[in-house]
Amino acid sequence: MAATERPTRRSMGDRLYDAIFSNRVWRSIFRSGYPNTPRNQMLAVATNVFLHLHPTRIHRTHVKITHTFCLGGLSFFLFLGLTISGVLLMFYYVPSVERAYEDILRLDTDVRFGQLMRNMHRWMAHGMVLTVLMHMMRVFYTGAYKPPREFNWVVGVVLLVLTLLLSFTGYLLPWDQLALWAITVGTNMVGSAPLLGEPNRFVLVGGFQVGQNALIRFYTLHVIGLPLMAAVFMTVHFWRIRRDGGLAKPL
Amino acid sequence: MTTANPAEAQSAAVRGRARRQREEELLVWPDLVFIEFISAVVFTVLLVGLAVTVDAILLDRANPAVTPNPSKAPWYFLNLQELLLHMHPALAGVVVPTIALIALGAIPYWDTDNEGQGEWLSGPRDWLNVGVGAAVASIGTLMLILFDDGMHAKIYESLTGSKFPISWLVNMREFQKNFPLWPTCTPETLKDGSCALGPLEWAKSIPLGKVLRTDLLGLPALDLNVNIPAVLVEQIIPVTMMVGLPILLSLVAYKRGIAQTKREHMILQFSGFIAVYVTLTIVGTYFRGQGLALGPYTIFAHQ
Ligand code: HEM
Repeated sequence: MAATERPTRRSMGDRLYDAIFSNRVWRSIFRSGYPNTPRNQMLAVATNVFLHLHPTRIHRTHVKITHTFCLGGLSFFLFLGLTISGVLLMFYYVPSVERAYEDILRLDTDVRFGQLMRNMHRWMAHGMVLTVLMHMMRVFYTGAYKPPREFNWVVGVVLLVLTLLLSFTGYLLPWDQLALWAITVGTNMVGSAPLLGEPNRFVLVGGFQVGQNALIRFYTLHVIGLPLMAAVFMTVHFWRIRRDGGLAKPL
Repeated sequence: MTTANPAEAQSAAVRGRARRQREEELLVWPDLVFIEFISAVVFTVLLVGLAVTVDAILLDRANPAVTPNPSKAPWYFLNLQELLLHMHPALAGVVVPTIALIALGAIPYWDTDNEGQGEWLSGPRDWLNVGVGAAVASIGTLMLILFDDGMHAKIYESLTGSKFPISWLVNMREFQKNFPLWPTCTPETLKDGSCALGPLEWAKSIPLGKVLRTDLLGLPALDLNVNIPAVLVEQIIPVTMMVGLPILLSLVAYKRGIAQTKREHMILQFSGFIAVYVTLTIVGTYFRGQGLALGPYTIFAHQ
């Protein structure tokens, strides 16, 4: 692949092409031209904050779907989707024991696309737990936790815990029988720890019973505390993938 | 590729290697970005399809006065809830998951040899270890669950029509009730020769009481009254199983030449762990009904 500065395609659309990709507005946003030369393709990745999560080149086995099954990427995709649908749900939901259940009911019946939004959020949440678990399995079975990636595996384990906690805190919010009792069962498990269990449970639930205090705690953790932590750890996770030389490759 | 030492970078060997690596590489744009874009589109479509066709569940309004039977944790914790049925709650709810997570995080610090990375199960016996680990662990877990449910006794009873002869081997609860088996003789039973084996009542409450004054530290008081049969059944036996069986598996696999290297033992144990996790989750989700008794169950029974 010889790097040429000129577009490889010289067609009748040249003028249109120049008008779109060489004008001052385009250049002010993207710096490089349309990514149709190797140089511009690399610049497109290197100069874009989002694409810059990637290196500009990767090993050829890593683009094979069967190497990663896209599972890490899918987990991240679902995290983003959950953030978006979650923000939309926040417009309609008030975390109080008087209103929460009615808000969810109204979402399902009165709000346009409300049910769809809630369904999306729910299925993506279940999906993310699954994809993160499967991503962990893929990393394990490809031996990708080995040096120098030990620490990124640990970061991954933290992300797994955060994912489970995100899902668990969200479980309470609809304030139906399923929510209340699942969280009661779950927090009772915490309470069963010797010595510190009961105090921990008390802090988590904000009382002896799952009620308003628990709801507001879970809500706050669910919409801001845990997502922020997850975002921080994901930043470290992605940064480390690059620092560790991209994905693991055979020696 | 940037190399730290410029002199080294000059060497022909390094340049040769760099060139070879270059040839193995693709550009992220378009090769990877394209795949990412397509899978984002595909999964968006799939998710919208799912969300349009299947509604998220919503039961009756939360009511602290009405406990549903069964009450279940979210599905990814049902493995722990299943464990809860077989051992001390502190063990199942806190100790086991904590240790499991620490062990998971410690994998790379155990298996430090970087042979075999970057490829799916590249060793000659890797797949074998996946199969053996998963099969042994899932079947073993199922057998333990069925034993604790007294399946052997039920089968015996349905075949012979009479009660299972060894009552304390029906399940762990029976075992606990009858433990320790000890000649429980009173002067009368001694005299008429009917002195039988039975549980020792005093072993069920050894009053160590408040030896550790944790309450002085502002923590909850620690009650150390020991119930020996309960400790045995709820803690000692489960821990022995959870630690012993994996070790036994590795030992047998080692002796039979299935797992030799550290990586192979890792694969064996990790596959076993996943299999246990999945088995417990499936049993906890679909096979625990009213009173968490063993039997088919779906959440939709609620509605
Ligand atoms: C919220 C959860 C997570 C997200 C969003 C995430 C995201 C990613 C992404 C996008 C990659 C690039 C390769 C790929 O897609 O497979 C990756 C790689 C990696 N992940 Fe995760 N991950 C998460 C959780 C985990 C967990 C639970 C573990 C392990 C316990 C883990 C360990 C790793 C390691 C070691 C790599 C490098 C793989 C290699 O070099 O081939 N991650 N992660």
